[in-house]
Amino acid sequence: MSKFILPLVTYLAFIIEGTVIQTVTPEHYGYSYILIPHFSFVFIVLMACYLPPRVSLIYALIFGLLTDLMYTDLIGIYMFSTALVAYLITVLSRYMFSNFLIAVVLSAGGVAGLEFLVYGLNTLVGVAHGSIQAFMYDRLIGTLILNMVFTILLYYPFMKLLRKTMNENG
Amino acid sequence: MPQFFSNKRLIVLLVSIIVLVAMIGFSMKDREELTWPEQFLNDVVGTSQSLLYKPAHSVAGFFENIADMKDMYSENETLKSKLAQYATVSQDVQKLKNENDSLKNKLEKPADLTDYKVRDARIIGRSPDRWNQSVSINLGSRDGITTEMAVVSPEGLIGRIDKVSMFHSTVKLMNDNGKNNNISAIVEGKERIFGTIEGYDQKKQALVFSKLPSKTALAKGQKVITSGLGEGFPRGVLIGTVDQVVEDESDDTQIAYVKPAAGFYNLDHVMVLDRRMQPVDVNQFKAVEEVAK
Repeated sequence: MSKFILPLVTYLAFIIEGTVIQTVTPEHYGYSYILIPHFSFVFIVLMACYLPPRVSLIYALIFGLLTDLMYTDLIGIYMFSTALVAYLITVLSRYMFSNFLIAVVLSAGGVAGLEFLVYGLNTLVGVAHGSIQAFMYDRLIGTLILNMVFTILLYYPFMKLLRKTMNENG
Repeated sequence: MPQFFSNKRLIVLLVSIIVLVAMIGFSMKDREELTWPEQFLNDVVGTSQSLLYKPAHSVAGFFENIADMKDMYSENETLKSKLAQYATVSQDVQKLKNENDSLKNKLEKPADLTDYKVRDARIIGRSPDRWNQSVSINLGSRDGITTEMAVVSPEGLIGRIDKVSMFHSTVKLMNDNGKNNNISAIVEGKERIFGTIEGYDQKKQALVFSKLPSKTALAKGQKVITSGLGEGFPRGVLIGTVDQVVEDESDDTQIAYVKPAAGFYNLDHVMVLDRRMQPVDVNQFKAVEEVAK
């Protein structure tokens, strides 16, 4: 049964990014800060830390493609970026102890890496204009804080779920 | 220093970069229709979005209502004074409408650029990635939605239909950075000035209305509406008001920055405008205008 819970939870996080969070963004209240929720990606990073590399890579490809199809014009940017960052996280986590602090740092690093990759690729194809300073101050910092808070809040519940799936798969 | 990429991995990375470029190339060209797997995924995700967006929006709206309550008294006063004018204005409108209809009948012009059908739609989701500004709505090809239709909120134009699947479609908002986000528009005034809105300036938070002839006098506060020439937009939909006029140094033209009339956030109900007629031949239309003058 818990085989289906992990994809379902990740999918739910993906849907929440585009619905619930979008009803309370800072733009609603006249602020110019941009907060991008990367909740499903945070889950993928946590999977990359604790599950076999193959699993997180597959999740990254699927949810990256889903983001591309649903929210962007160009297919491939998110798919490529999420998969690449998820792979780098699996490699990195092999050389570190897996604990709460490392997981939070890795997820923040992953979100930053993803944002930079997407920004770079979008600038390359001409979708994003604007200086790197504006990108960092208006977008990156707030996004990092939002996703770190999300990681801190949901680390223990999500770990419980991961442990359950690990036990069931042997 | 850990070795991130072995030779085999490096080849995989290079191949995936090639695949990335191929996919971007595939999706960059103008596609009229989505492929069926894309449509299917859009519908599946759209259905789950519509389950979540509405309750979340009402909860957020509830708290906003509480915050708005302190302004209610003064708002009520102004509304009361507006209401007094309403009766006379609506009578005038009715009179003008009748007059307009009878004149149109005399001209034997059954359909014109302003004709459209309205379809009510509800927002079910929004792109969280701010590089692309788009929202999804709960109408699709089954409800007769096609690409390039205009989408308006009660305040004014907000965007156009971009992708259509069976039950849901995606609206590209006017503040999107994309290249093909041009709108043919008119500045209303003593003389009408035709032009094209070419994109959105994120810093100024205004639409860029460029290539206006430099001798025309533009003033702040002039209304900008859609022209209805070409594309799928009807005529006369409010886009915004002129906010700032700048001389373009490179060639002898002006750029007007247009403040959009509608907000792009806080959307709930929107309307899709379906033009009843085929796109008009521009020259023929201009000839009709000449005659009308």
